[in-house]
Amino acid sequence: MAMEQNEQEEFLSNVRKALGVNPIQKRDKPDIFKEFKDKNPDKTLETINNRTVDEKKALLEILIKEADSLNLNIIPIKDFKTAAKKIAALAEEKEPEWGEKKQIIAWKHPLVEKLDLNSILEVLKAPIPVCFTDLAHEKKIGRKQNDTIRMQMIHSYIGVTSADYCLAETATLVMKTRPGQARSVSLLPLIHIAVIRINQIIKNLKELYTILVYKQDEKEEGLTNCMTFISGPSKTADIEGVMVHGAHGPREVYIYVITDE
Amino acid sequence: MKIEPELYKAKAKKAVNNSVLQNALAGLQERLGRGTALSYQRLPEGPDLRLKAHDIRSHAIEHLDILLGALADNVRQNGGHVFFAEDGQAAVNHCLEITEKHNIKKIVKGKSMVTEEIGLNIALERAGLEVTETDLGEYIVQLAGETPSHIIAPAIHRTRHQIGELFADKLGISYTDNPPILTQAARKALRKKFLSADMGISGCNLACAETGHIAVVSNEGNIRMSSTLPRVHVAFMGMERITACLEDYDILFRLLSRGAAAQNIAGYVSYLGGPKTDDQIDGPEAFYLIIIDNGRSRILADNDFREILCCIRCAACLNVCPVYGKIGGHAYGSPYSGPIGAVVTPLLFGINQAKDLYCGETLCGACKDACPINIDIPGMLITLRKKRAEGDRKWNVKRTNIMERMIFKIWALAVKNKKIYDFFLRMTGFLQTFFTGHDGTIHRLPFPFSGWTKSRNMRPISSKRFISGSKNIR
Repeated sequence: MAMEQNEQEEFLSNVRKALGVNPIQKRDKPDIFKEFKDKNPDKTLETINNRTVDEKKALLEILIKEADSLNLNIIPIKDFKTAAKKIAALAEEKEPEWGEKKQIIAWKHPLVEKLDLNSILEVLKAPIPVCFTDLAHEKKIGRKQNDTIRMQMIHSYIGVTSADYCLAETATLVMKTRPGQARSVSLLPLIHIAVIRINQIIKNLKELYTILVYKQDEKEEGLTNCMTFISGPSKTADIEGVMVHGAHGPREVYIYVITDE
Repeated sequence: MKIEPELYKAKAKKAVNNSVLQNALAGLQERLGRGTALSYQRLPEGPDLRLKAHDIRSHAIEHLDILLGALADNVRQNGGHVFFAEDGQAAVNHCLEITEKHNIKKIVKGKSMVTEEIGLNIALERAGLEVTETDLGEYIVQLAGETPSHIIAPAIHRTRHQIGELFADKLGISYTDNPPILTQAARKALRKKFLSADMGISGCNLACAETGHIAVVSNEGNIRMSSTLPRVHVAFMGMERITACLEDYDILFRLLSRGAAAQNIAGYVSYLGGPKTDDQIDGPEAFYLIIIDNGRSRILADNDFREILCCIRCAACLNVCPVYGKIGGHAYGSPYSGPIGAVVTPLLFGINQAKDLYCGETLCGACKDACPINIDIPGMLITLRKKRAEGDRKWNVKRTNIMERMIFKIWALAVKNKKIYDFFLRMTGFLQTFFTGHDGTIHRLPFPFSGWTKSRNMRPISSKRFISGSKNIR
């Protein structure tokens, strides 16, 4: 640690020298972090909080329009029950990527639990098991238990998550990492399904950053050790500029937006 | 990769004669160059948003010491380790120590230009480690034993036919030139690598000092894989890739995505800060951030070039540059090609050694217009030429040969004196008749002027003077 500190001090004094300030004196200017901040965050937060039903619907329309060019499917739907039925139909229709067995991996999350996918998928003619990335009941993860869930994630063809927010103007899902909400669920399976409520849709990146920095509970939680933005399926254009979906991550992404409940 | 800008002329010549490459480059510029310009126009704030972005970047560079200190403190608070590396060798050594400490055998890598700059892959392979590039373009280039020829489209110089043959040979699939099938083959091969790797390496697009996170961007999802699945994650960042606070990303990432690929936002953006906690299921058990100087503080100390540190490596300047559009990325002999490479490569590796790079650019200004940060690249190209002509001790630049200076001195004298100038015109007008061909152009001039007619015919000096024409108009 002492060596790391020395190395850092030497490095930073070099930087200070290059900038033409006293190399051995640590500069302290707290104001520099405020230079480009939102001058009126409360107003922005108020706008977000006070959106009318019509304004929310307008944002949903923008989201649908933006998603179209990204090959991303937005499905507005009345309630969780209907959404669950749709998801079950999708699961029956799609084929797994590696091997024969169909298996779904899902977040341990209130909105995903409301779908109650197990009750529909287990009574199908060919039942499809749903596993949850849930370790909350264990105080400390034993490596073995962790490996079991990792294997389940690797062999699932569909991953079901929710999200913290969805940005209309860029069609972006925003998710932090919390216990039960594993990062791989939106990454390893061939198909990613996200379920959100309509009031989780906000306008753009600017609104998001204001919320993250100034909204009390978000501020306390911080970004967590991994905050991810997902805008559509995984894609590449590395072979002659031809767009191909499903480079490493999901080839198809579906966002179910619950409008009524 | 090997840094060899001195081979510029030979490689450029080869590239110009390669019709496959010429098609690929034209296609790339047509697609991305135009798309980016359009996407700036469509910004609600208009193209002037780039000036604001310039302010944000300059502000960060002017306070680099404070921001880097804050970043290191915050990453450590989040449970990560931070190393500061003065040069490439120090950075490589840190990485090798980490691989030993964690008993690493297999590594997956996301695209990172700074690791190319410091020759990381070669060092890791020499230490007996398996290193796999996972960005599709980088993977193709690695399988072929080549180096990337574009910052964000590394395999742009290869055709689907060539890639089909390469995959048939290296991955054992039957030949196809169908991009979706080829992509699927790479997905399958690389999925195995992701799942068996012990360590993931990534670059860093822009770190956030205030929160202690690095932000990484990709469209394929390979960087998410590399930073989520292996048990150790090591991120490398050039010391200038940092911003003060979270709100800065709104403008910077909107412009980065537009500059790089004319997108509103890249497919995946991750803010990563520290290892997983005990109650989390996935993520690395250890997180390291290696911050690299490697010549950047020397650029920072020079007011003529400090601005280049604002660059966010989106490659927009490559996609509009008429020179890059003809000679491609390999001619630049550095991971940084195009106009940005013509400034950064000499500054990092030697102004004398890389002289052809900045002398080869046209100064047309297209790069500045395409730059999401509005960096004055043409201005810096001229300054580099000036340094070379006049010499500069600070940069270890020797003055150009005495002959060239003499000629310019005489020329300066001639244009300032009407009598001498008129005499010069009459003389050259007379002399050129000996060199003018049947088509009315000059095919070959004698030494020391032969360079001007080496690859083109020159038009003779007009017999009618411009100034006499303008008198008539008046």
